[in-house]
Amino acid sequence: MIPTQWFLILSAILFSIGVCGVLTRRNGITIFMSIELMVNAVNLTFLAYARQFNQLHGLIFVFFIMAIAAAEAAVGLAIFISLFHHRETIDVDEANLMHW
Amino acid sequence: MFEYLIFFVFAAIAIIFALVVVLHRNAVVGALSLVVSFFSLAVMYVLLDAPFLAALQVIVYAGAIMVLFLFVIMLLNLQHVQEANTRPVQKFLGYTSAAAFLITIVYYILKYAAFTAPASPFRADAHQIGVSLFEAYVFPFEMVSILLLAAIVGAMLLSNRSIDTSESISTEVMEQPDGESGAEVTR
Amino acid sequence: MAFDVTDIALSILKIAIVLSAVLSVTPIWVWVERRGSALIQDRLGPNRVGPFGLIQPLADALKFLLKEDIIPTQAHKWLYTLAPAFGLLPALTTIAVVPWGRSFVIPQMQIAGYTLFAGGRLFEPIVADLNVGILVIFALASLSVYGVTIAGWSSSNKYSMFGAIRASAQMISYELSLALAAVSALLAAGSLRLTDVVWMQTGYFVLFDTIKIPAWNIFSPAMWLSAIIFTVSGFAETNRLPFDFAEADAELVAGYHTEYSSMKFALFFMAEYMAMGTMAAVIVTLFLGGWDIPYYNEPASFLGFVLSALAFVAKVTVMLFVFVWVRWTIPRLKYDILMRLGWKVFLPLAVLNIVLVALFIGKGWI
Repeated sequence: MIPTQWFLILSAILFSIGVCGVLTRRNGITIFMSIELMVNAVNLTFLAYARQFNQLHGLIFVFFIMAIAAAEAAVGLAIFISLFHHRETIDVDEANLMHW
Repeated sequence: MFEYLIFFVFAAIAIIFALVVVLHRNAVVGALSLVVSFFSLAVMYVLLDAPFLAALQVIVYAGAIMVLFLFVIMLLNLQHVQEANTRPVQKFLGYTSAAAFLITIVYYILKYAAFTAPASPFRADAHQIGVSLFEAYVFPFEMVSILLLAAIVGAMLLSNRSIDTSESISTEVMEQPDGESGAEVTR
Repeated sequence: MAFDVTDIALSILKIAIVLSAVLSVTPIWVWVERRGSALIQDRLGPNRVGPFGLIQPLADALKFLLKEDIIPTQAHKWLYTLAPAFGLLPALTTIAVVPWGRSFVIPQMQIAGYTLFAGGRLFEPIVADLNVGILVIFALASLSVYGVTIAGWSSSNKYSMFGAIRASAQMISYELSLALAAVSALLAAGSLRLTDVVWMQTGYFVLFDTIKIPAWNIFSPAMWLSAIIFTVSGFAETNRLPFDFAEADAELVAGYHTEYSSMKFALFFMAEYMAMGTMAAVIVTLFLGGWDIPYYNEPASFLGFVLSALAFVAKVTVMLFVFVWVRWTIPRLKYDILMRLGWKVFLPLAVLNIVLVALFIGKGWI
């Protein structure tokens, strides 16, 4: 049986890659994808601990995270479409006004 | 033995394709790499004795959310939009802080999270999850369904710029069912 | 999870059987489709190559192999080459969770002094008997969108792009009614495992204490509606003719594979027929009793296995012929009608049907 630690380290690596993407990229959709990657890394941690402590709560939490990620993707991408229609760009530095 | 082989192969795939997402300039390639990365995470879930969530991971993330991303990238024709270069200082700070975070957290995982192997085999099937959802977690479950409904309405309102002129544009007609599907599949 | 050499050998045997069956669907059904369409349209169809044109698929395959492989200069080379493989992958793998016969106990054998199959090993005619079987089918089906989308996008052709967008929007929309229609069969079986779904359908309904009807889900008063919804959504999911917007040739040249030629096109072609075969197998498993032979109690022996496997193949064949029949009978719908049908008719009906089945289960009628 694979030790829980290994899954945690994999999760940490994926999370750091996501952090890196969010901090260094300027394309809004790529940043969004990096955030999804970080969320998935956290999901992996939840499942690793769920198996370790033999509890269902971790699984249920992952279930809810998935539902919320779906909602987040729908709204977030709608915001990017709206931004693109108004500013012809999805560079996050350009989205610096609270209204348009 | 097989388990370890599968773990290392798919962990490598997940990390390599996650790096492609962050480093590649073409957003379509990035989105497809993220799909591969999510798929190998689903394999990890199977290794963690949670096949139900592995299937959900593929259905929700790979099958719904990433299709939504791909649609938006393709419909906005973003592959032709040249991404501005990141400021060098931002790049430097981003890479160093991510690396510092990684080193710190791996250090603490190695130091404090050395568990003994779990004794009893862990089986989380759909039946147990369902019972748990409708008994202990029924309130969060209902809240999430309301949240999804709000997300559907919000996404339609935001992406439909001609909502008051009663004139619809073909690309936006395409958006509507897709935005809903991301939410519906999860429910 | 202890397994030995015999288990691995049996698994390889099962995979070989299923894979060869799935791969042979394409040539056989190309022939049936062409001759069947000729029959329906009152003409002869291909009859020059071999008796009744039986060698025609072979000639087609040869032609595909020998044609020039063209990659458009504006195409994204990597993705353009990968797209057919993405399309083929889900079509090949989905069948793994479908049971195709009754399980039987392999008798112990002595060959040249070696004991084979010691202790009465159970042979399950299914490649992977997962307890989340149906979810695996939907997961892989949701991945089939990528083959279409990548093909359309990477060709850098507006007709390909339109075809891809239409096809993927259609597949995503109909996946929902497909899943919700399947839920009613799963509710009745109380399990996500497809072998349980089939076992549940092996009994009888008794009408007026005299007439015995096989307990297939399609004959159940609660589930015939979801059987219809599932079948029609299955047509849409596999992009077959009343809903074939992927390659509506009157509007989109050839849809997402306009730019593809030679073996790459052949892979899309094969993927379409394999997806059709898989869809027929899933419909048979969920609603038509799987491998169950009506009015016959299959023994748990090799004979029972062979008979039930033959029954399964026969049912899939009938279902596949329905696919061909519908294709050459019903004209293509308009795109907006298709979307309206999916979202405003099938989805609410499927949800209503789930409530109905739940009511039946609550009352103890199923």
